[in-house]
Amino acid sequence: MLVVAACVGYLIYSASGGSSEYYLTVSELRAHPAYDQDVRVAGVVQTDIMYAPRGTVEFTEKDSTASILVVYKVDVSGPLPDIFKPGITVVAEGRLGVDGIFHARTILAKCPSRFSTSPYTQ
Amino acid sequence: MILGDIGAGALLAGLVLAAFATLLSFWAGRQENAVMVQVGRRAFYAAAAMVLLASVVLEAALLTHDFSLAYVVEHSDLSTPMPLIAAGFYGGQEGSLLYWTLVLGLLGSASLVASASLGTRLAAYAAGVMAAIVTFFLFVLVLVASPFGVLPITPADGLGLNPVLRDSGMLIHPPVVLAGFASFAVPFSFAAAALLANRVDAAWIAHTRRFALLAWSFQTTGLVLGMWWAYHVLGWGGYWGWDPVENVALMPWLATTAYLHSAQVQERRGRLRAWNFGLVILAFLLVVFGTFIVRSGVVPSVHTFAVSAIGPWFLGFLAACLLFSGALLAWRAGGLRSTGQPAATVSREGAFALQNLLLIGVVAVVFWGTILPLVSGMLGQERVVDASYYERAAGPLLAALLALMAAGPLLPWRRAGAPWLRALAWPAGAAVVTLVGLLLFGVTSIPALLALPLAVAAAVTCLVEYGRAIRKWRIGLFLKRRRRYGAYLAHIGLVVVAVGVAASHFWQQEADVTLQPGQHVSVFGASLTYADAEQRQLGDHSELVAVMRFGDTTLEPSRATYAGLGGQSLTHVAITTTPLADVYVILVGSNPDGSASFRILINPLVSWIWAGGGLLLLGVAFGNLGARRAETVTAVTRPAVVPSWR
Repeated sequence: MLVVAACVGYLIYSASGGSSEYYLTVSELRAHPAYDQDVRVAGVVQTDIMYAPRGTVEFTEKDSTASILVVYKVDVSGPLPDIFKPGITVVAEGRLGVDGIFHARTILAKCPSRFSTSPYTQ
Repeated sequence: MILGDIGAGALLAGLVLAAFATLLSFWAGRQENAVMVQVGRRAFYAAAAMVLLASVVLEAALLTHDFSLAYVVEHSDLSTPMPLIAAGFYGGQEGSLLYWTLVLGLLGSASLVASASLGTRLAAYAAGVMAAIVTFFLFVLVLVASPFGVLPITPADGLGLNPVLRDSGMLIHPPVVLAGFASFAVPFSFAAAALLANRVDAAWIAHTRRFALLAWSFQTTGLVLGMWWAYHVLGWGGYWGWDPVENVALMPWLATTAYLHSAQVQERRGRLRAWNFGLVILAFLLVVFGTFIVRSGVVPSVHTFAVSAIGPWFLGFLAACLLFSGALLAWRAGGLRSTGQPAATVSREGAFALQNLLLIGVVAVVFWGTILPLVSGMLGQERVVDASYYERAAGPLLAALLALMAAGPLLPWRRAGAPWLRALAWPAGAAVVTLVGLLLFGVTSIPALLALPLAVAAAVTCLVEYGRAIRKWRIGLFLKRRRRYGAYLAHIGLVVVAVGVAASHFWQQEADVTLQPGQHVSVFGASLTYADAEQRQLGDHSELVAVMRFGDTTLEPSRATYAGLGGQSLTHVAITTTPLADVYVILVGSNPDGSASFRILINPLVSWIWAGGGLLLLGVAFGNLGARRAETVTAVTRPAVVPSWR
């Protein structure tokens, strides 16, 4: 029993060390810039979405105090979520470059889910 | 307006009745007053009837478009198709709580009707615990999240159901998974009652096991349907995304799977009694914990549920349940010591014990991954884990479980000797052959080389057991020992699921293509032709449909736009299943020059997951429906420690 418990403990410890990421707001990332490290940043999409050529999307993610420019490559990482548009909250997963631009690998939209009804009116 | 009053009145009456049933049942159980116990039980039935009335009223309000009710306005509109309007009953926070209470009321009543033979005190306490849980839910429904809130002005139309939810999955997955969640309260109530009444013997196992199996079956069905739905909807991370909402549905299932196995050790050998109580209680606590997690919005999830005022109430309820169960187990722990003699480590008992530890290990892994954002957020900076954490931490445990599925069923009770090693030759041989085959095909991924041979070995073990019975020309054995042979079928089903998960996980292929009408593309052996795109106008939305030919099949990936909902769009994927793989086509967009962009995925053996889930349920149904008489045949092998309860 102890052997199994120790194994489980070790697995959890080793796996969570390697695969956990910081979950930040934009202002937290601005206050403590973590370069070259996978993080997730949550913020609201602003109106300046730019669909650049070669399948790149650029937009600004903002929370109450800070904002950040996010670059996302549609042709590499897949299409953006359906509900992606100004005003919705997204979670960008990726790395902050030394250029101060956030290079996103995935964009998760806060899904209007089963139990919430009308996110589009909120 | 009138419907709202009737519904709210019914809920209030239900609350009073449930509270009365709680107090009376505990008091009468203590006094062993059979008449009052009966009254308490009837009060529970009456409370359940009130919940049923409230549910009928809410459904009627939805179907008749009674927009005086806030809930009806928020979850339906005139353009929504009828079946989906009916589904609005459990589509919102308040309604889903009402549905939950309804299932608990009905299943709880059924379990109490059948409980009289367990003795006055135990039956009374079970009714008391169940009534207390119903009281909590009705309290929340009456005071915190009432589905019968009336709007000051009646709007002409509702807001409508979210487009993502306007899907056939909405009609089948939520009711099953919510019923599963609700039904874990029944075995919990009987476990708690047995501890309270100090009837810590095997008496409650048969009764509890039946309802644990029912909850487990609901949850299995709910999980498989949820995987199927998430697989068909873009953006929900495929059939399994290790999202907190999925995790909290998986954990009680794992705990109950452990219980269904360890209960056999208690039935046959009188051991693991405290552990079994712990598992039943754990499953229920995980349900309450999960409800708190997903309804309060304390952890980030793709499926953000409406954050509402019920969070703190559920936290309080969780704390109360934890304290109650912990105190109960600690109080009765002395009387729960195992009565049978200890068995060798390498024995059927040992295999069950190891399987239980591994399953609980998986629960621990999933639990930690789910609460990490919460814990790390309290200690400092919030951290989250992604799918790779679960794969690395739970993967080895799941592989060990597969290995155990190959070796465990061949082990005899008490002690294993040379015959066991000989029997092991078949699965071991099959694993080696599979391993060599995979290596010859150039597979180099270590997890794949581990998972698939073990899965084959587990399946071969079950087939060997069937083979033994057939070779002896004892087909009747299948019926006489149906629980045993049903379980093997369930094991085979789980192996089929495992193979489907492994194959689609290790060998998924994807390609992004842009095609002109009439253009042809070949993606990993699947050849597709883009015919044309057309615009279609449907009842509540318009769609841009791309028509694609794949052999004789026509695939129609599309993008729907809901004009009535602020132009919200929704991508519908098109999936076609071949024996070896699913071809999964996503319409990314159409371009001004007439071409269209697609993302095409080849998902190997995903259909095996659904087929395996079906086999799993079939095996459990075969093994347990109407098998009560047949099972007593095996009682000969039981040691004399099983107490009689009559």
